[in-house]
Amino acid sequence: MSTILSDIKNSFVSIIKGLKVTAINWSILRPCVTELYPEQRPQLPEAYRGMPTLPVRPETGRSDCIACGACARMCPEHIITVEVDKTDPKDRKPAKFSIDISRCMFCGLCMEVCPKGCLRPARTFELASRTREGMIYNLDKLNELGGQLPPEPETKLES
Amino acid sequence: MNQILIDLALELGKLIAIAVVVLVFMLVAVLYLVLKLRWVIARIQSRLGPNRTGPWGVAQTVADALKLFQKEDIIPKGADKWLFTIAPALVFIPAYLVYVVIPFGAGLTAQSLNVGVMYISAISSIGVIGIIVGGWASNNKWSLLGAFRGASQLISYEVPIILALVVPVLINGSLDLNTIVANQSGGFWHWDLFTGFPMLPLAFLMLVIAGLAEINVTPFDIMEAESELVAGFNTEYSGMKFALFFLAEFAESFTLSAIITTLFLGGYQPPLHILGGQLTGIAFSAVSLFWFMAKCWVLVVFIMWVRSTLPRVRVDQLMNLSWKALIPTGLVNLLLTGAYVVFWMHK
Repeated sequence: MSTILSDIKNSFVSIIKGLKVTAINWSILRPCVTELYPEQRPQLPEAYRGMPTLPVRPETGRSDCIACGACARMCPEHIITVEVDKTDPKDRKPAKFSIDISRCMFCGLCMEVCPKGCLRPARTFELASRTREGMIYNLDKLNELGGQLPPEPETKLES
Repeated sequence: MNQILIDLALELGKLIAIAVVVLVFMLVAVLYLVLKLRWVIARIQSRLGPNRTGPWGVAQTVADALKLFQKEDIIPKGADKWLFTIAPALVFIPAYLVYVVIPFGAGLTAQSLNVGVMYISAISSIGVIGIIVGGWASNNKWSLLGAFRGASQLISYEVPIILALVVPVLINGSLDLNTIVANQSGGFWHWDLFTGFPMLPLAFLMLVIAGLAEINVTPFDIMEAESELVAGFNTEYSGMKFALFFLAEFAESFTLSAIITTLFLGGYQPPLHILGGQLTGIAFSAVSLFWFMAKCWVLVVFIMWVRSTLPRVRVDQLMNLSWKALIPTGLVNLLLTGAYVVFWMHK
C-alpha cells in the first residue's frame, strides 16, 4: 500500500519537475538558438575551411601555383584538372585549373599536399548554383574567390 | 400551407447558417491551434518556429492547408476503396458534431440539448469507428496495428472519462451544459473546480488525464507512435483525406478543453462579477465568448505544454493506468459524490 502511494506521489512529482524544465526553456530565460540566416550572418570561426581557392600574390598578379598537379593526383574525387602553360619553360604556371565543387567533399587533401601552399581554404560557404556548369570553378573564378595573399613577411633563412 | 413551407424554409436556412458558422469557427480554431502548437513546441525546444509566412508566420498553416489541397489523393493498391474514402469523414463528422452543443457564450449554443453531456460522450466515441475503418482499409500493417491500438485505447479511456463527467453532472443535477454553466455564475469560487468539494478536483484531474489519452496527444499517442508505427492509422492517407484526420485531431483537442471549461471552470462565466457579469444581452454574449475562449486557450496551451514535455508511455502502461488506476478511482469518486448528493447536499 505504501509503495503504491509513493509511486503515485513520485509520478506526480516527476511530471511537475518535467513541466518545470520545459517551462524554463519556454520562458525568456532561455534565448532561441535559431539563426535567421539570410538576415543574420553566421559568425565563421577563425580556422574556417571552405572550398580550395587560389589566392593571388599581389607582387606577381597571379597565384603561386606551379601546375605540378599534386593536388589533382591527391584528390580522392578526381575533380581538380590542371594543365601546364608550356609557353615559357622557366616560368611554370597553370594554363587551365578547374575544380568541380559539386563533388568536392572538403577533405582538404589538395591544400595539404600543395608544395607552394598556394591552395588556400576560402571563407565562403554560399556555393549554390542553378546549373552544373556553375559549380565548376576555373582559374579566374578561383583567383577571384581566393582574394589576395597578405604580403610575405621578410624572413631570411640563415645559411 | 404556404405559411408552413415558408417556416420550413426559414428553419432550414437557420440550420444551414448555424452549421456553416460552426464549421468556419472550427476551421479557424484548428488553423490557429496548429500554428500555436508549432510556436509552443519550437519555443520549448529553444527554436523560433514558423516566422516567415506573413507577419510572425501567422499565414503558415493557411499555406500548409493550401498545399495539402493540391496534393495528389493516393489510394493504395489493395486498399478497400469505399471504406478508405469514408473513413476520414467518419472521424471528422463526430468531431464536428460535438461543437453543436458546446455553449461558447451566453445564448451562443448552436443547439441546447437537455442531454448535452451524454450527447458529447456518445458522439465523440463514434470517431473510433472511423479510425479502425481507416486502419483496416489501408491494407498496411502499420495502419492496422495503429487502428487496433487506437480502438483499445479509446474504448478503455471512454470509461474513466464518463466516470469523471458524471461527477459535475450529479452535483449540478443536470445534463444540460447551459444549465451547468448557469449554476456556476457569480465568480470563480462558484466554479465547480473551486467549490471546495474534494471529489470535483479529483474528477477534473481524471478528466484531464483520460482526455489526453482520448485525443491521443503525446504522452498517450501509442496509436500513432512515430517510432514504431510510422503514423499509425493514417499512414497511407494523403492530401485532403489526411487533412480531414488532422483537422479532427486538433478539433478534438479544442473540444476537450471546451468540455473541461464548461464542466469545471465555469464555462463562459467571467471569473469576477465586475469583469462582465453585470452586463446583459448581446454585450454579455460577447464578453462571455471572450472568457470562454480565454479559458479554452489556457487549457489548450497546457495540453501543448504536456505534449512537448512527457515521453510516450508503453501500451501496457497505458492500459494499466486506465483499468487499474483511473477506473477504480473514478468508481469510488462517483460513489462518494452520489452519497454526498443524496445525504448532505439536498438536506
